[in-house]
Amino acid sequence: MTNLDGVFRREWGSAVAALARWSGDLTIAEDAVQEAFAEALRAWPRDGIPENPAAWIVTVARNRALDRLRRESVRPGKELAAVYDDITARTDRQGVPHRIRDDELRMMFTCAHPALDPQSQLALTLRLISGLTVSEIARALLQSEPAVGQRITRAKNKVRHANIPLRVPPPELLPQRTPHVLACIYSVFTEGYWSTAGPSAIRDELCDEAIRLAGEVCSLMPDERDGQALAALMLLHDSRRHTRVDADGALVPLDEQDRDRWDRGRITRGLDRLRNAAGATGPYLPQAVIAALHATASRWEDTDWDGICLAYDRLIAITHSPVARANRALALGFRDGFDAGLAAIDDVAADPRMARSNTVASIRADLHRRAGRYVEAQRWYLEAVDQAGSDPARQFLRRRLVECGGQRV
Amino acid sequence: MYYFALLLGPETTEEPDASTQAEIMSAYENFHANYGTSIRAGDALVPSATGARITGGPDAPVVTDGPFAEAAEVAGGYYVFEAENLDDALTIAAAIPACQNGAVEVWPMVEYMPPSQPLDNNWIALLLEPVDSVLAPGTPEWNEIAAQHGAFAAAVGDRANGGAPLHLPSTATTVRVRDGKVVLTDGPYIEGAEVANGYHILNVADRDEAIKVASMIPATTIELRQLMGVSGL
Repeated sequence: MTNLDGVFRREWGSAVAALARWSGDLTIAEDAVQEAFAEALRAWPRDGIPENPAAWIVTVARNRALDRLRRESVRPGKELAAVYDDITARTDRQGVPHRIRDDELRMMFTCAHPALDPQSQLALTLRLISGLTVSEIARALLQSEPAVGQRITRAKNKVRHANIPLRVPPPELLPQRTPHVLACIYSVFTEGYWSTAGPSAIRDELCDEAIRLAGEVCSLMPDERDGQALAALMLLHDSRRHTRVDADGALVPLDEQDRDRWDRGRITRGLDRLRNAAGATGPYLPQAVIAALHATASRWEDTDWDGICLAYDRLIAITHSPVARANRALALGFRDGFDAGLAAIDDVAADPRMARSNTVASIRADLHRRAGRYVEAQRWYLEAVDQAGSDPARQFLRRRLVECGGQRV
Repeated sequence: MYYFALLLGPETTEEPDASTQAEIMSAYENFHANYGTSIRAGDALVPSATGARITGGPDAPVVTDGPFAEAAEVAGGYYVFEAENLDDALTIAAAIPACQNGAVEVWPMVEYMPPSQPLDNNWIALLLEPVDSVLAPGTPEWNEIAAQHGAFAAAVGDRANGGAPLHLPSTATTVRVRDGKVVLTDGPYIEGAEVANGYHILNVADRDEAIKVASMIPATTIELRQLMGVSGL
């Protein structure tokens, strides 16, 4: 039964979404689909994989949910009794639920509801839509399993008791609600792409899943330009997935990556999305433009730094982010000379939000190194190594330190 | 379903001047005009200086007079909404003028018992529990306390004038409006160690009677506050 895992991943999210619409309750939906998969594990090796595994799963899950509701509703005073009446009434009219993809979009809006803490939105999305287990989520987010489990339970209870609707919000609410869905999808991606801490198989899965979810948003809400921009951004970044870390697990900077190994398919798809994103007002478009300018430069020396600086200006105007200002300083260093970049980074260094990050030190080190001032560069590399957040980044900074003539640390 | 909205804000020590007061009144009248069909109850609270906190339980009540100086955000009013879902409740809550410089906590109610008598000289008893030991509705422990509240209401008769148990703090949402944008946070605004998990409206002759009646309520802490009777709701 080697491909049951594949079926599980493919069908989990849509099955939970369908059951949630049908039952109106996330916990009932999740438990029923879980039971259906357990049943599949018993039945399929014996009887073979059914012709339509999705329909099989949804039907069995619905029957399990009905069993449970029937069982619990005979006890007086149970609130599930009302849910049971509701379900049986709707089932009689509609039969097996369908319109699976709309169901999934509905789930995205529910899981990324702004009345839920962003960390809860992320955990709920990974559990109910992406089908990661609690232990996988805990490993991916570097949190303890009980903490993740409790977070998910609380979030589901809030959806139920505060009555967070399982729906795509009405048009008047979409402008405030869609950014939360996109931000949640992007945090699935960043956990996979940037955190570089958890096991790599899960990180790859998070990147793939974020790209899949953004693709769903794009096809179901094609006029949502920020969704197109987000999809473009992630595809373009992810085209470098296999070149950004070397065999020893150290980060490889852009100018040393083997551009022939960048994923052309992803770049092409990313550029297509980028064309559809014209007019987007959120933070994803300028970031996608920056990623596209890197992806389309055939050599590091051909990078369009002027275009990149302009995109950073737009990004800073939208987010006021000091990290964006620091990266703009680096780009400025490549456009106008290293000293111009160093002057620009001095302006960012004082921002208290940068106090616990090694971004400023890394950028100063890099600019001094490129300007041939190795002693200065060593000093900043030492500081950057100290504050490095992840092992691959630390390994890379150590390598640079040695290249500049510094002692191995 | 029903939602309880608790209005929080800095408590000013001095009375606002007449024009500020008129401005506030008209903002609230405006809110009532726009959302009147969803508002089931509500009122402003008299400043906490006239209020009291009662701890120790019905057997050994300890009364501390207001104001409650340690708190930066003090309850200044409440509403009960009937709304189809949390989205609708949050839209209504965000329109409350208190969101502009304070915050509004929106709590789903387990059930709502509307007042049975006119709300002319009433007090609100907010039931507070330690954050970590709030009971989940529907559990045997919760049912037991609920029965005690029923017994309290039966014992004080007409002086209990409606109220409600609230769902767990993790189901609450805090609403603020800053720079014209609605900002939501998951959970109640928690400053001290205790959070609301229900309330009773008390229909009593004066403060002494309010304290006497509130002391009989089975809760860890009771914040007792006089209602202004201004909303006309």
